[in-house]
Amino acid sequence: MKRLVASVFALAMAALPAGAQSLEDLNIQIHGYATQGFLYTTNNNIFTTSSSNGSPEWTEAVLNISSQPTPKLRVGVQTRYFLLGNFGDALTLDWAAADYKQNDRFGVRFGKVKTPSGLLNETQDIDPSYMWSLLPQSIYPITSRNSILAHYGGVVYGTFNLGPQAGKLEYRGWGGEREIEANDGYWISEVEEGINLTKGVNQVVMGGALHWRTPVSGLMVGASASRSNATTNGITTGNGAYAGTQALTAYTEPDFFARYEKDKLMVAGEYNRIPGTIRIQFPGPTAPLTPYDLIGWFGMASYKVTGKLSAGVYDSQYFDRASPLGAARYSKDWALSGRYDINSFLYAKAEQHFIEGTAVGYDATLNADGLHPNSKLTILKLGVSF
Amino acid sequence: MKMLIFACVLAASASIFVAEAHGQAIVIANPGVKASEVSKNDLKDVFTGASTSLGGASVTPVLLKAGAAHDEFLSAYIGKNDTAFRAGWRSLVFSGQATMPKSLDGDAAVVEFVSHNAGAIGYIGKASPHDGVKVLAVH
Repeated sequence: MKRLVASVFALAMAALPAGAQSLEDLNIQIHGYATQGFLYTTNNNIFTTSSSNGSPEWTEAVLNISSQPTPKLRVGVQTRYFLLGNFGDALTLDWAAADYKQNDRFGVRFGKVKTPSGLLNETQDIDPSYMWSLLPQSIYPITSRNSILAHYGGVVYGTFNLGPQAGKLEYRGWGGEREIEANDGYWISEVEEGINLTKGVNQVVMGGALHWRTPVSGLMVGASASRSNATTNGITTGNGAYAGTQALTAYTEPDFFARYEKDKLMVAGEYNRIPGTIRIQFPGPTAPLTPYDLIGWFGMASYKVTGKLSAGVYDSQYFDRASPLGAARYSKDWALSGRYDINSFLYAKAEQHFIEGTAVGYDATLNADGLHPNSKLTILKLGVSF
Repeated sequence: MKMLIFACVLAASASIFVAEAHGQAIVIANPGVKASEVSKNDLKDVFTGASTSLGGASVTPVLLKAGAAHDEFLSAYIGKNDTAFRAGWRSLVFSGQATMPKSLDGDAAVVEFVSHNAGAIGYIGKASPHDGVKVLAVH
């Protein structure tokens, strides 16, 4: 039924371009996009899909309604249908926020807002904006996207002009609460061991980011840091027969990034680290703290070959420094990508990944024969936006 | 030697063509906008959503839906084609950072809108009538 609703929604959105402008006089805008992806892997089923047989289970549809009643005030809401294998298959609220921008130096946004950490976090779900079908999974894991994309709370932002010789400095600060859902990709290894969260993990988060748009035309360098508080949540195992707790210590997530755009060329890179400890406690002796130290980075480049055709490549690497040596400790992903814009609304993408290591969204239950250390992933995607 | 002369003539012709092409679109603003000139970087910031002010005063960009002046403006001042330009705006819209600027059908509609809305800034073909608005010099 949800697939049917999503399909009707997608078709309705595809038919809306003419209507998208008709509400302009009321300062109300309606925008949206829908995508359909196809996944094929040579080894291993990825992202809880049956991709080794070829899987079309990757559908997204987004509807955005916004209004700007005054030049300084905007309000908006965005909903999403997301399906990726066993993830999603639900309508969710992307964000719903009011934004007051006093001037270029100060603005504030509150409600459910996108979290502006790192280079791409607040836009990582916007498929029409990217050439890539799949952003580097080392920092932007699609199976955790709903959890890390937004938070309930606020964002303050602004830009300071440092003068013609020093460029501009953009700042963002945020705080609030986010929920890492019980079926989020972060918990996939626990689920594989038969441990399930009774509900999502609610974290208090706060952070800040600086983007320096340097005097070198097209070059931006930046850094962000996000702090999440300690949490303790209920867990069960043995098909619910035993109850316990999962305790996460507080952690700070530093992130460094840069992007250079010149004419048809774009080059970017990012580094991110999530260090912390976790304790899985069931009745009995006190369980030890298990450390984790997740490090991800990527380098990417893209080039506009023609007005309609873009091509690019990235190398994305991720590893847990605290994990034992082996293929489950890391993931290295080389990706070659292409995008063709059929017209202003329709586009098609093709992408080839060469993945080493198994620390990427693999689910043991869908890989019952064990994981191969290497796999190739082919992605085809069709999208429409207005 | 003839080849060298030919190449020089060709390069000079190309540069003249580019200079003329950059002169096909002009930037206009509501007469209430205090600035009389704008840097290319500031203009790009306003039309890509990075900034909403010019010379300290609030401005609102307005776009042409299509056409030679639109393509020329994007090429000369934004450095993107229409698809990439609108993709950038969609990125802002879908992340809740902005609303899409109005897109109007032709130069006359842009002049009409800019002349009647405080802080409005747009662009039109150089040859189009533009009574009631001011032309901003771009440097």
